[in-house]
Amino acid sequence: MSNRLDWFSIILYILLVAIGWLNIYSATYSGDTASSVIDMSTMYGKQMIFIGVSIVLAIVLVSVEAKFYERFAGVIYLVSMLSLLGLFLFGKNVNGATSWYAIGGMTLQPSEFAKAATALALAKFLSDIQTNITTDNKDLVKAIGIMMFPALLIIPQPDPGSALVYTSLFFVLHREGVSPLYLYLGFMAVVLFALTLIYGPLWVILGICTLLGFLYYFMNRKKKRIKLYQLAAVIMVMALYSYSVNFIFENVFEQRHRDRFSLWLRLEDDPAKLDVIRKTIGYNTYQSEAAIGSGGVYGKGFLEGTRTKGDFVPEQHTDYIFSTVGEEWGFIGSVAVVILFTALILRIIFISERQKSPFSRMYGYAAAAILFFHFAINIGMVIGLLPTIGIPLPFFSYGGSGLLGFTMLLFILLKLDSNRINEWI
Amino acid sequence: MAITEKNISNRLYFVAGCMFLFAMAVVVKLVTIQVVEGDHYKKKAEDSTIRNFVIEPNRGNLYSDDGSLLATSVTRYDVRFDAVTPKQEVFEAHVKALSDSLSLVFGKPSSYYQNLMRKARASKNRYLLLARDLGYTDYLRVSNFPMLDLGPYKGGRIVEQETQREHPLGAIAERSVGWEKFNAETSKYFGVGLERAFGEYLRGKQGRRLKQKIAKGQWKPITDYNEVEPVDGYDVVSTIDINIQDVAHHALLTQLEKYNADHGCVVVMEVETGEVKAISNLGRTKSGTYYERLNYAIGESLEPGSTFKLMSMMAALEDKAVDTSTVIDTENGVLRFYGKAVRDSRRGGYGEITASKVFEVSSNTGVVKVIDEFYGDQPERFVNRIYNIGLNKPLGLPIEGEANPIIPYPNDKDWSGISLQWMAYGYGVELTPLQILSLYNAVANDGEMVKPRLIKEVRQWDQPVKIMEKEVLNPSICSKETVKKLQSMLKNVVEKEHGTGHRLYSPNFSMAGKTGTAQKDYRDKSKLNYISSFVGYFPAEAPKYSCIVVIHEPDKSVGYYGADVSGPVFKSIAHKIYTNSPLIDTVDELNKENKPALKSYEAYYAKVRGSHQAIPDVKGMSGMDAVSLLENLGLQVEVEGQGRVVKQMPKSGVKIEDNKKVVLKLS
Repeated sequence: MSNRLDWFSIILYILLVAIGWLNIYSATYSGDTASSVIDMSTMYGKQMIFIGVSIVLAIVLVSVEAKFYERFAGVIYLVSMLSLLGLFLFGKNVNGATSWYAIGGMTLQPSEFAKAATALALAKFLSDIQTNITTDNKDLVKAIGIMMFPALLIIPQPDPGSALVYTSLFFVLHREGVSPLYLYLGFMAVVLFALTLIYGPLWVILGICTLLGFLYYFMNRKKKRIKLYQLAAVIMVMALYSYSVNFIFENVFEQRHRDRFSLWLRLEDDPAKLDVIRKTIGYNTYQSEAAIGSGGVYGKGFLEGTRTKGDFVPEQHTDYIFSTVGEEWGFIGSVAVVILFTALILRIIFISERQKSPFSRMYGYAAAAILFFHFAINIGMVIGLLPTIGIPLPFFSYGGSGLLGFTMLLFILLKLDSNRINEWI
Repeated sequence: MAITEKNISNRLYFVAGCMFLFAMAVVVKLVTIQVVEGDHYKKKAEDSTIRNFVIEPNRGNLYSDDGSLLATSVTRYDVRFDAVTPKQEVFEAHVKALSDSLSLVFGKPSSYYQNLMRKARASKNRYLLLARDLGYTDYLRVSNFPMLDLGPYKGGRIVEQETQREHPLGAIAERSVGWEKFNAETSKYFGVGLERAFGEYLRGKQGRRLKQKIAKGQWKPITDYNEVEPVDGYDVVSTIDINIQDVAHHALLTQLEKYNADHGCVVVMEVETGEVKAISNLGRTKSGTYYERLNYAIGESLEPGSTFKLMSMMAALEDKAVDTSTVIDTENGVLRFYGKAVRDSRRGGYGEITASKVFEVSSNTGVVKVIDEFYGDQPERFVNRIYNIGLNKPLGLPIEGEANPIIPYPNDKDWSGISLQWMAYGYGVELTPLQILSLYNAVANDGEMVKPRLIKEVRQWDQPVKIMEKEVLNPSICSKETVKKLQSMLKNVVEKEHGTGHRLYSPNFSMAGKTGTAQKDYRDKSKLNYISSFVGYFPAEAPKYSCIVVIHEPDKSVGYYGADVSGPVFKSIAHKIYTNSPLIDTVDELNKENKPALKSYEAYYAKVRGSHQAIPDVKGMSGMDAVSLLENLGLQVEVEGQGRVVKQMPKSGVKIEDNKKVVLKLS
């Protein structure tokens, strides 16, 4: 049985975890004492233990009967949601977010495990022979309900980053035949949002009018008639959206939110104000970029990063771990890590496509979507490509719950994959 | 599942496309910040916000052989005054008091300081120097003066501290102790003397500490430990004996001043170990005073002149060319080779004398004749003797700037028909004083040539890190027999009346040595000058120290002979060492009873008592003798006046009773 496990993925997994640990070591070791790598008083020591527990978990997960996951997907989901609800009563507040259970000296973050549980439940629901999301809007709403319920529970912790992860599951729906309109609308909304902030609603509306004017003209020439009132309606909706974005940005958002966006979109030209932003809301991003940038092409070498050592980048061992990679291993190391992640995600998509059981396939997609979302948002944030959204880099970031959660996500898929031959029975 | 295969593929491509786009965006962004703007960030990272600060280690101390400090690092403080910072009322309230305090400590009038500070305030001088190079206690005192005690922000006090190298013994051996500095441009150390030679040990290792810039000119350490801990330098214990050094320094100085000489040097070395106990180099400045300028003893090679005759005699004795008793005709004081004359310092020469006397009177013609007759057709044999001893090579001291000796070889280009003859009495060859001294030291040490050493050990706190062992350059420079002969000749130089060094002779302590009066710049008669030297060892019978004194260009009108100019320096050093280190005989048991002696003493005592039943006549004795005599007889003595006894009461012949009072009148 075990020889049917996808060893390629496992090797990628081991590589990512190992490189991740090295970077955590670099980011957290204090240099004055040469303590053991499993010293529980150090972060890298703890992470080493988490890695050990993850390996045990992975073995347990692949030892369980594959049918277990499909059969008990609902139960697992239910337990997971209850654990999220339980936080409201028994949660422990760490750094302003009530996301943890404290059990003995350990803390556990249920939202990290909820990702795999939701993926299982969504796959289970969609693979049901009676479910048809392409034709039945009720089913679609139910599917979205399953997806977004954990997000609703996580937002008030507050942990908007983790909540945002669940939107990535729309990719699964997309793959399973839901009209792309939703995706396109979402995409348009984001683009219009950004454009409005950069150029202001007036220019955006003028642009839309011009663009649609051309469209109208060409369509008419091709004898595909678009009615003027449709056009006007589209423009009206977009204009309204644009103005409301502007209004919300200026009146509803607080200054710190505005700064976050103006930093992301490089809206601020005034060097003095830019300096203030850098020292306040943009501090993390600025420090992270500076650390990565100072690595240059070849990097400064393992344990040689002055900014890493100097603890310039806050939360470097967790969400900003990639800045250590950038500083100490340079452009080459960063790209290597990006390639490893991309390879793993593509491999998961490949594995998903070869599944005969719809449950396994959809679960695989869900796993790929979740991993990709984490990877993209995290690295995008660390290198200043995307606004600051605090989610960890899978397998890399420090934290036991996160590592265990992602291990769970991956190894359930590998177990399902190893069992695909038996799916016909 | 109403979807087609094509539809699925398209959707897959869409998702993959999004991923690809994102991955490209990541790479582009990485290229931008790491490759394109990489240098910018690198510079920013290193310059503006984070920097490695160098933590200077403490330089090790330099000790003399008995542990006295020769050089140590001391923190010195400059106190400056920011005349703008204090408020007007503060300034006015304290300026007078501060001036008074400064005046009290530094001597200048109070009005001077007050004027200085008022001017500084008027011209907005924020960096007025008040006191420089203060020690710690003085710094504390000045810091507590009125106004300054308000601190930097209210009182305008500016304190700068720096580490200085101090020599607690002052100018003594300053040049040999030397100094070392760091050239930031070439990142190399440079300097002179022991400080430079053993800089590697003294220096220590710099530490580093990462600091982050938090405001202009303010740096915050990033971590609570140093990235690299500074390692303090090791202490170096030199072989210098400060007492001998002191004597040598002052004896040389006295003589230089007396003869108004250009420069001179003296080295004292322990015969057996090669430890340099004193080394002093003094040169005349334009103003006529002397101070340690160059390390002449090591860095200046010179034509040794007569002192090199030791080498010639050694070769001749080894090769059995002569024996000490061989009679040599000194040819009326003139020998000619190719029209060039070798002359003796005494006109008419010394007649026919023994080889030993040739050396003792330092006859040029005698030595040259011996060498010329025996080695004339085989000069390489003579030079090989010198080479075999190792005199052609520098001593290989760890100190920079040791001059190379010049000993020409018969196949050299400028070897001529008179090279051998001139070499025989010390011309045409060049040696440094220290090299000459090591040759004499080898003779004193029964033929074993040891390398001069300036360092005993390197230590960290009280633990030796490295102990410098005695280094033998040549275990035997010649046969024991020859050494004995040379030793007796060297002794005779001082002891015999005809010896050139007889003026140094002292019946109290024995010395052996050789004078040297070498001509300098002899090619131009108008510039003719002398190098007077004396090299030898003491005590002559059991050599303990060897010593060389070289004095350049003494005033000819005062004198220039080696024995006159350099000899006294040698003598006073030897004298001082003898008086300072008396011979000590140890006795196992002081209170051992010597029965025969005791017995005879008792018998003697009884006899003495017996013969003096009556008070003796002490008239005419000195008071002191009379008192002790009478008191020994058990009488009480009362003395009036001073001088000799003129009257005694009771008179002599009166029977002695214990504790009887005797009154003596002295005048």
